[in-house]
Amino acid sequence: MGIRATVVVCLALVATALITTGCASAEGTSVTSTAERFLSAAGEGRGGQACLLLAPEAARSLDDCEKQIVSVGLRAGVVRGVDVWGDEARVWVDGDTLFLHRFPDGWRVRAAGCEPRPDQSHTGQPYECEVNT
Amino acid sequence: MKRLVRDNALALCFLLLFLATLAGQSVAGTAAFNEEQVANGGSSVTWAEYVTSSSFAVDVAENWQSEYLQFFLYILITVWLIQRGSPESKKRGEEGLESDAEQKVGPHAAPGSPAWAAADGWRKTVFSHSLGIAMGLLFLLSWLAQSVAGLAAYNNEQLAQLEDPVSWGGYVTSPDFWNRTLQNWQSEFLAVASMVLLAIFLRERGSPQSKKVGDPHSETASSG
Repeated sequence: MGIRATVVVCLALVATALITTGCASAEGTSVTSTAERFLSAAGEGRGGQACLLLAPEAARSLDDCEKQIVSVGLRAGVVRGVDVWGDEARVWVDGDTLFLHRFPDGWRVRAAGCEPRPDQSHTGQPYECEVNT
Repeated sequence: MKRLVRDNALALCFLLLFLATLAGQSVAGTAAFNEEQVANGGSSVTWAEYVTSSSFAVDVAENWQSEYLQFFLYILITVWLIQRGSPESKKRGEEGLESDAEQKVGPHAAPGSPAWAAADGWRKTVFSHSLGIAMGLLFLLSWLAQSVAGLAAYNNEQLAQLEDPVSWGGYVTSPDFWNRTLQNWQSEFLAVASMVLLAIFLRERGSPQSKKVGDPHSETASSG
């Protein structure tokens, strides 16, 4: 491969990586909207609507999704931050952290009611979640 | 056209091999990525989505950077270090940048020499090191691409495992980044050392990378 062509491909690789990051920030609004609708539904007793916004595996992890999702104690709150990396996202809400995955038909909640493990927050341990896949 | 192909057959052959294997990597990579996605409760991606993903970009870039580093170091180190008996090495006493006359630069440039070889000042200096500079820049660019794409792929995995994402600074000091980097570097250095040493004692008839079959093992800087 000619040097010029290689430089172009290298720049394309860097650009791909940067665009991936850039697109991630554009996805933030969509992620936040799904998280807010999910928490509102779960917090206000609309279990059916909340379960529709759960990832299929997360919904299946609950015996009776519509009843159980409203009894977990999830509440809507102010969104404090959103991280989107590819097809995975994390949303910080007052008193809660949610993890979402992007499916072909949109973002769905993979885990909710999550908290970092208090004494192991920097040792690569996953969050502890009330609802999980 | 036929002559053009024949005159550039070596470059064309490797370009075609590159494209074929990159295509193969993209297909195999899509399948492997989707196996992992499904196992983690996620959804499958299309080939087009995969080849524009950070996961594919980091896998490609981490191999590129090590190849360019290999050539960059080989080009530079063989200026100063020799290996007796190696067709890839200069002879003893020829170490270093060599004289302008030997290198045909400045007033010693031949009629067919490139213009910048005959020039003085910075143009002569830049052209005298242009191969090393190009390989070095390609290495740094590929390595940067690896770090940026690797960060995106790593953080995607972190979130999939319900763990905290990290910053770029955090990533380039992480075990994941250095594991990807060093596992490629070690293989390149081993391959170069093997080539340098094996080419002393073994031959490939007709290859310019080898000495002539009948050349003595001790003969340095010859090719067959």
